[in-house]
Amino acid sequence: CKKLDLVPTDVFTDANFWTTTEKANSVLNSAYSQLFNNNYFFFNEGMSDNAYNGRGDNEGVASLAAGTYDPALGRLNGEWDFHYAGIKTTNIFLENVDRVSSMDANLKARMKAEARVLRAWHYFYLTTWFGDVPFFAKDPSIEEAKTVSRTPKSEIVNFILTELDAAAADLPVNTAYAEADRGRLTKGAAIALKARVLLYESRWADVVTECEKLMSGNNGTYSLFASYEGVFLPQNEYNSEVIFDLQYVPQTRAYSNFFDMAPLSVGARLNALAPTQELVDSYLTLNGKRINEAGSGYDEANPYQNRDPRLTATVVYHGYEWRRPDNSVKIIYTKPGTDPDPAAPDEYRAGGISSPTGYYTRKYYDPTSANNFLSGLNLIMIRYADVLLMYAEAKAELGQMNASVWNQTIRPIRQRAGFTAASALEFNASANQVEVVRNERRTELAMEGLRIFDIRRWRIAEDVLNGWAHGAQFGPSDVDNGYIRANQRSFDASRAYLWPIPQDELALNPNLGQNPGW
Amino acid sequence: QKFLEAPVSIKLNNTRLTDALDKIAADKQVRFAYTDNVLKQTYRVTLTATDKSIKDLLGEMLSPFNLTYKIIGDVIVISEGGATTITGNPVDQKQVKITGTVTDDLNLPLPGVTVKVKGTTIAVSTDANGVYTIDAPADAVLVFSFIGFTTKEVAVNGQSSLNVQLVAERTTLNEVVVVGYGTQKRSSVVGAIDQVGSTIYEGRPAVNALQALQGTMPSLIIQQRSLEPGQAPNVNIRGVSTIGNNTPLLVIDGIIYEDFNAINNLNPSDIETSTVLKDAGAAAIYGSRSANGVLLITTKKGKKNTKATINYNGLVGIQKPEVTYQPVHSYENALLRNEANVNAGLQPIYSPQQIRDMQAEGDHEWFLDAILKNAWQQNHNLSVTGGSEKTTYLVSAGLVDQRNNLVGPDFGARRYNFRINLTNEIGKLKVTSILAYNRTDRKEHSFNTSTLIVDAARTPTYYDIKDANGNYLTNDVLAEFNPLGILEQGGYRQADDDGINANISAELNITSDFKLRGVLGGTLVSNHTLERVKQVNFLPKGTYGADRNTNDINYKSLFINTQLIAEYNKTFNKKHNVGALLGVANESLTTRGNEIRYRLTDPELGTPTTGTIIDPNTSRGTLNSDNTTERSLNSAFGRVTYDYDNKYYGEFNFRIDASSKFNKQNRNAFFPSISAGYRISNEDFMEDYRSKYGDLKIRGSYGILGNQNVDDYNYQTRFQNAANVYGFNNSVVSGINIAFANPDLRWERGATLNIGVDAGFLKNSLTVSADYFNKTTRDILLVPQVPGAYGAGVPLYNAGEVRNQGWELNVNYRITSKNFRHTINFNVGDSKNKVLKLEGDQEIFSYDEMQVIRKVGLPLNSYVGYKRDGYFQNLDEVNNGPKPTGLNVVPGDNRYIDVNKDGVIDENDKFVLGNPFPRYNYGLTYNLGYKQFDFTLFLQGVGQRSMFVRGELVEPFHFNYGQVVYQHQLDYWTPQNPDARYPRLAANGSQSNTNNFRRGSDMYLYNGAYMRVKNIQIGYTLPTSIAKKIGMQKVRAYVSGQNLFTISSIDFLDPEASEFNNNLGAGGANSGRNYPVPVYYGFGLDISL
Repeated sequence: CKKLDLVPTDVFTDANFWTTTEKANSVLNSAYSQLFNNNYFFFNEGMSDNAYNGRGDNEGVASLAAGTYDPALGRLNGEWDFHYAGIKTTNIFLENVDRVSSMDANLKARMKAEARVLRAWHYFYLTTWFGDVPFFAKDPSIEEAKTVSRTPKSEIVNFILTELDAAAADLPVNTAYAEADRGRLTKGAAIALKARVLLYESRWADVVTECEKLMSGNNGTYSLFASYEGVFLPQNEYNSEVIFDLQYVPQTRAYSNFFDMAPLSVGARLNALAPTQELVDSYLTLNGKRINEAGSGYDEANPYQNRDPRLTATVVYHGYEWRRPDNSVKIIYTKPGTDPDPAAPDEYRAGGISSPTGYYTRKYYDPTSANNFLSGLNLIMIRYADVLLMYAEAKAELGQMNASVWNQTIRPIRQRAGFTAASALEFNASANQVEVVRNERRTELAMEGLRIFDIRRWRIAEDVLNGWAHGAQFGPSDVDNGYIRANQRSFDASRAYLWPIPQDELALNPNLGQNPGW
Repeated sequence: QKFLEAPVSIKLNNTRLTDALDKIAADKQVRFAYTDNVLKQTYRVTLTATDKSIKDLLGEMLSPFNLTYKIIGDVIVISEGGATTITGNPVDQKQVKITGTVTDDLNLPLPGVTVKVKGTTIAVSTDANGVYTIDAPADAVLVFSFIGFTTKEVAVNGQSSLNVQLVAERTTLNEVVVVGYGTQKRSSVVGAIDQVGSTIYEGRPAVNALQALQGTMPSLIIQQRSLEPGQAPNVNIRGVSTIGNNTPLLVIDGIIYEDFNAINNLNPSDIETSTVLKDAGAAAIYGSRSANGVLLITTKKGKKNTKATINYNGLVGIQKPEVTYQPVHSYENALLRNEANVNAGLQPIYSPQQIRDMQAEGDHEWFLDAILKNAWQQNHNLSVTGGSEKTTYLVSAGLVDQRNNLVGPDFGARRYNFRINLTNEIGKLKVTSILAYNRTDRKEHSFNTSTLIVDAARTPTYYDIKDANGNYLTNDVLAEFNPLGILEQGGYRQADDDGINANISAELNITSDFKLRGVLGGTLVSNHTLERVKQVNFLPKGTYGADRNTNDINYKSLFINTQLIAEYNKTFNKKHNVGALLGVANESLTTRGNEIRYRLTDPELGTPTTGTIIDPNTSRGTLNSDNTTERSLNSAFGRVTYDYDNKYYGEFNFRIDASSKFNKQNRNAFFPSISAGYRISNEDFMEDYRSKYGDLKIRGSYGILGNQNVDDYNYQTRFQNAANVYGFNNSVVSGINIAFANPDLRWERGATLNIGVDAGFLKNSLTVSADYFNKTTRDILLVPQVPGAYGAGVPLYNAGEVRNQGWELNVNYRITSKNFRHTINFNVGDSKNKVLKLEGDQEIFSYDEMQVIRKVGLPLNSYVGYKRDGYFQNLDEVNNGPKPTGLNVVPGDNRYIDVNKDGVIDENDKFVLGNPFPRYNYGLTYNLGYKQFDFTLFLQGVGQRSMFVRGELVEPFHFNYGQVVYQHQLDYWTPQNPDARYPRLAANGSQSNTNNFRRGSDMYLYNGAYMRVKNIQIGYTLPTSIAKKIGMQKVRAYVSGQNLFTISSIDFLDPEASEFNNNLGAGGANSGRNYPVPVYYGFGLDISL
């Protein structure tokens, strides 16, 4: 007979795990890794009017944008599971870290605060998508998970806000961290997240309070980075504008979404996410006007001239000068019949693998990326420009937008973007301030995954996600003035502002109940 | 000669004399010997006797035919003419030397036949040429016996030359059946056991044993999901009865194998018998490992007292890939794409001029044709067998070389086998030593076969795969890779796997009834895979293998099985046969492995060079997770058998197992079974029946079988280091994966009832076995679905109960006429399972458009989805009909049945559509011999199965990934074709496309029943006389064809293709991207010398 009490030699068991700071720290590392992912980051834009996922149904965004989904859509379950998995890790950490007796008390307090922000983060996404959701202050048993009913969103939001306050108190400011800790949650990140939570709740006065905490410089040091394009380049990771970013490391923790987003002629495989004509149209002309405004100087025959420089930093259009890593330039031909190369990989072709809108993406292109665009460039979750825009929006909503607020927010953002005309930089008291800020937010933050949340909280999804999403003016002129019909969409305002509780979750726990209209 | 006085009462009415003698023999336990030419079949007698002595009776019966008899020992020998001599004690018999040849019914010499002088211990064996020489009294009776043949007694009658032909046994009653830790005679088997001999492997181009076993035994269900070289099929015995692991247990020469697929490393030519233990009665002795049935393999051994025989058999053939779907013409394809786009409100893609050009140009070579080729396959085996009085041996070597049907440099698989089976008797000790070595060299492309197949298949025929300069081309379908380029230049994956099995068993006969056996078996497996990805650049764009990976993967395992067994067999009072067996055993497995994965290696050599990195996420050392495991199982087992007079049988089996996979308190489990049999035909009152029909036996068993197929250490919570989960400041950090424990984990237990009947008809030339089984598996190990809100996966729980019931029928018919010899085997089995209990009552799993459900009251993993109610034929129907949530449909779109009549098609409107597990699995083997010719036909099929097939083979222009319409898809809806098989064409992303193709419905469901001609052989055997002249014992030449054709209602896909493994677990939906079925034609040669 042989011994049957075999102990694994390559993993820890409960008996020997919670013994050192290093091991506890590994659990916190896992919690960080679960906070978001690059596919959600990029493809979420395809749910909005800014972009179209024309190949496959990546992360369900094609179905969500077109409104052709039902509660069985995999993304719904995926998003739900994703966040609760993150919550579990933080709960396990918070409930067991005290077993590590040897840990430094200050470090323990900081790590607990990091875990609490991460947990709040997940509840924030869950409530934003689903409304009322199951809420656990501590790690649930299987039985509890099967029978729990949903907690009202308002209660969870209160929990999130309280937690963020508590965590902010224990977290160091960004400058207080050692360089090796860059990427960790800071006091400023907790405050900025709180501002975003309040923004999504339209609690404008509270948004102002939180944003001011950051604009004051008392809770970390933040400023707009000098170059808009540079914010998203690898050499400027951890720049002064970054409040919190998702960490990637070249080769070892990396993503290659640009393989299906960049122009094909510079090495992409195909196009799975294409900016829309609607996004392109939202960029102002250099004099600060919308393209359809009188005196904008917009020329439909030359649509990319005389435009907000952020367009070029974000979207690749016909005739675009794509700068390669070696600084040489490749002209991108997306208009059918224009490419001198007979293969014409980037030209729009109905039903082809090139972009279905005639546009590609530049923002977040990493010139240092490896084969197949494998990139370790961090993805910014909250940046200081967003704080300024939140502040501006809150002030505008409160009717308090004025030259002073403007000069603290929109003006520096536009200046940094490269606007020079006074008409673009000066405060215009007669404009619809809310509309101006909203459009500024759209263009400044385009392709950063935030648009879908904005159009939902503004309740304009039913306007911008109904009918055709368009591409460039490469189509037959008798249809939609020649703008390509890329994707027909529908948005049912009676129910779609909340995602349905996933079918499988409802089957496992009928106590959840379904959202209205689903 | 007291028995000559025994009184007999008999009534004979025109009865055959031979039958009359048989009757007397059976009644009175006397024995007759005669030759056929003496006792002609035409001799018939009519008489009535009451209490007449045998002596008188014989006189009365034999004299009309001028026959006489004499008594030799206890046998009555009947001969022609002369006076009746009753010799009391023949002391002064004249001794003669008798020689002769023993042949079988084909007149081929039979070596190894035992020739014995009746009533003495004088015995010899026939030599390799079937010739014997024996000294015996001139009036002796010789007894010729050989396994598988009817024993024959022949009176010498003074002759010095006696040639004897033995007839192959019509019944299998004396067949030796392999059972757990021993053997039994077929006649005393009371379990549900099937066995096939080595003939099923003969002349078959099977690359492994399982391929040849398919269809040979009822309820041994083998599904070949892919016929790519090196792919293992699904195996189930008696269907699926648990949600967890359904893999049977494999035992080769008494040694348990940890890995069922080890059977595929055996040389099929080395296999003597393949036995399936199906019920609890037969399998309980394997306890915790046996719930899914047991496959016992014994390898060939040499025979005692035979001279060395050399056998060679070789089979060389060609495999032709059979593609069952074809694209439409290129210009038609362009027209259809335009139609789909326009139907979706989009622009047409091709201009009329482009389409006219395509038509003028004609079709280019289809990519799928370009990446396939015919390929050779060769099977060669060489063996030497023989034996002396105390030693037998078999030495064999085999080679299977199967080339791949995909183009590319030298792709294919070769397996080399070498074996020595040796037995030595040293006094009371018998030592059996087995040493087998196998090596598999497999080389294949560096990519993924189904992707290559589908990429090639979904490219329309207006593209070229290569340009005039030999550059590989990409296009709008294959934007990134070109499959031909990957195959021809993209590198390879090369496996060289070694396996050594050593098995020593020593049996000590302490008394003639009692023996002890010790067995030590070990399997050492050493696998190595080298993967090399080479960069291929395509035009106008696209690159394969830019990372230039070189991966080195090593894996090594040692499995040791030790057994100590005591066995006792005795017959009391001639009628009470008692057997007992008691044993203890241990199984231990240790594995080690490591993987090094380089990126950016030298483009020519694949070696590390400047810039090379070792991928930290996928490289693993020996100490890394999952590469080191250890498990152990301690067992005690036993069997008690009893039979009375070969009429009543009883058997008790048990096993106690203790496994390292469970927590202390759940570690031990007891698995008992009882069986009983009743051979009615052996009753006196069944005499008429027995002589008219044959054997009749009923049998039954009940027992508990176990299943411990869970991963190791699952009862402990484990924290596993996960490298590089996150980073700070551009440096990676590691995290922790937590695997939660279930400390209460325990064995899965299946209670099985089996009732069977074995019956002979037509004097046993037709035998039928039928079985019914009912098995309930409790405490099924499964991962319960937990709400996502729990936040993690959970380990296995004992949380399900499934009933599986079914039946089997095995029919053998054998008839030999003057020139023709027919044997037919037909077997069929069915099983049907039902979930009785399930944590949460219901689970649904989604894979693309396919959904399967586990639900109490339903068979495991049934397909669910919408049912079609035709199409929306007009706008009126669209406006008033039920539509899926969020979708606007138009005429020509699928209309689904609205179960709850709420006007909306949603989850509440789903049906159970069918079940993917094959039912009514059957096989038919027909052998026909005519003089020196032989013919074999082997059919295999499935009577009922649902197949859910999605992807480009169903959906035109699937997701825009595919851009081809296949010919079988042309039956789509148009106003002129309102009852089409498929809905109208509409481009990807449109509401119509979403309605028709993104919602799983019975549109995707196909009938997967099929019948396949698996093998046909036509052979010719040289007459012995001619063979001998060229120095051979036997020469047979034959042609063999495999997978020649298939009858099925699904005509565009191999009906055997399945998305499910043998546990009905799916990795995804079935998209039909299979390696094509190779049709095989070959020529073979069998030579013995």
